[in-house]
Amino acid sequence: MAEIPNVHLSLPSRPENVLIVRQALSGVATCLALDAIESNDLNTAVTEACNNVVMHAYGEQEGALEVDVYALSDGVAVVVRDHGKGMPVAGLHGEERHQPGIGLAVIDALARRVEFARTPAGGTELRMEFDVPNASALEPIAGEGLETFAAARAGLTGAVELRLAPNAMARAVLPRVLSALAARAYFTTDRISDVQIVADVLAANAGESIRGTHLNVGVTVAPRKLELLIGPLLTGRGESLMTAAADGSAPVIERLTDAQRVAPFESAETLELHLADHR
Amino acid sequence: MPAVASKPSSGTRTAPGAASDSQELFVRWQRDRDQHAREALVRQYMPLTRGLARRYGRSSEPFEDLLQVASLGLLKALDRYDADRGHPFASFAVPTILGEMRRYFRDSGWAIHVPRGAQERALKVRDAQERLCNKHGRAPTVNQLAEFLEIDTEDVIDALQAIQAYDTLSLDAPRPRADGEAVAYGDTVGADDERYELVELDATLTAVLGHLPPRERLILRMRFVEDLTQTEIAERVGISQMQVSRLLRRSLEQLRTLTHAG
Repeated sequence: MAEIPNVHLSLPSRPENVLIVRQALSGVATCLALDAIESNDLNTAVTEACNNVVMHAYGEQEGALEVDVYALSDGVAVVVRDHGKGMPVAGLHGEERHQPGIGLAVIDALARRVEFARTPAGGTELRMEFDVPNASALEPIAGEGLETFAAARAGLTGAVELRLAPNAMARAVLPRVLSALAARAYFTTDRISDVQIVADVLAANAGESIRGTHLNVGVTVAPRKLELLIGPLLTGRGESLMTAAADGSAPVIERLTDAQRVAPFESAETLELHLADHR
Repeated sequence: MPAVASKPSSGTRTAPGAASDSQELFVRWQRDRDQHAREALVRQYMPLTRGLARRYGRSSEPFEDLLQVASLGLLKALDRYDADRGHPFASFAVPTILGEMRRYFRDSGWAIHVPRGAQERALKVRDAQERLCNKHGRAPTVNQLAEFLEIDTEDVIDALQAIQAYDTLSLDAPRPRADGEAVAYGDTVGADDERYELVELDATLTAVLGHLPPRERLILRMRFVEDLTQTEIAERVGISQMQVSRLLRRSLEQLRTLTHAG
């Protein structure tokens, strides 16, 4: 069975997006109950890998920075990928092993295992594995999932894309990532808290709402505005997500967002949510 | 020479040609115990050491302490490096320095100390949030908080997240209002609660809501029925906006659990 990531992030390769990855990792660390040292190792190594992509993968251009997180039975693996012209990877393989860049030497020293691969398109993929002695079990991801991924991808694009298996890791990661994006959109703390609540509802209800293996969330960030495109959802679930009630009379998401739209998508549907901070 | 990845800004690059110079310095230090050679090597690799100290253990420990530990790692690496193997010093020094820092973290109780530091910072962010809120009449942005506290926006975001987790902090105590009058939230609950009895509720959810304390019910209704902002709720109930946020998230989580259990 193909390995399916618990969390997948795709972001433009800009320095400020490394912060988004770090927020996602802090959710991963919380979910897996990492101690401060383990969490620091994970964060430091993945930050180095992301910085490498940001600075070297696309030359002066910008491209996709992709991060996959896999929960292993005794650890966690993170893959950092680009689709660029191939970044300098001296130091990880062959006779060049002992000519590492400092970033890669740091990764080598902190991860229990480091693997490097070229993507079919010539990009670079760095897989890092870290020990988690007391890895808490996550709900397994049902199905193969990769086809759904591809189908979802065609219809869902945003500045930042997340794919989350509907389990505890999603519940830890989504609120953190969306708060960081809301902060970038100059939201007040008041409205950031609302965003967290919306993320809680989406992640908590993902299992029964999605078609396929992952909840896909595309996020577009503009000043004082966040737009979320969520899917693919089982038909009818967009509406029920939107009106998931706080106390029977008050739909949480409908109250906390400024606009909502359910649209058909292939044999499923998508939910679009707009959040603004009017202050 | 193969391309190597290094951050242009981190000062970890070694000048071209430095390798052969330093080989000679290593011989002078390791074979002849030449202190001048050792000092020259320390100077040469201090940017690398500094860069590692800065990257590792981000903003959670006084930088001077980290640098001291990293420097100790550098000195060990200078002693143990075997130049005859033909590997550049940096590839040997990085794991040695990181190893020294990790050992220090383990031994010094850093793993416990750091969360405590984060907790203190979360409280500072909360207090700043309230001050700015009172001053401007609306909640601040993350950038405004970062500027006010002179910390990174990332630290503010971390604090906003962390504060949700601190059940043990005295977050739940009633807080004085801007006018200095402390508000006992219990006083405000009764009247409002009665009014909300008029709202027709689904029978199961009414039962489930009964499991929540009156204040949590009140806050839920203020936000989702009356459509007050969290800042407005905070003002009326006499707690901080962050506490409102925490209580809302926790209550909704409890409602979800109870509803699914039923």
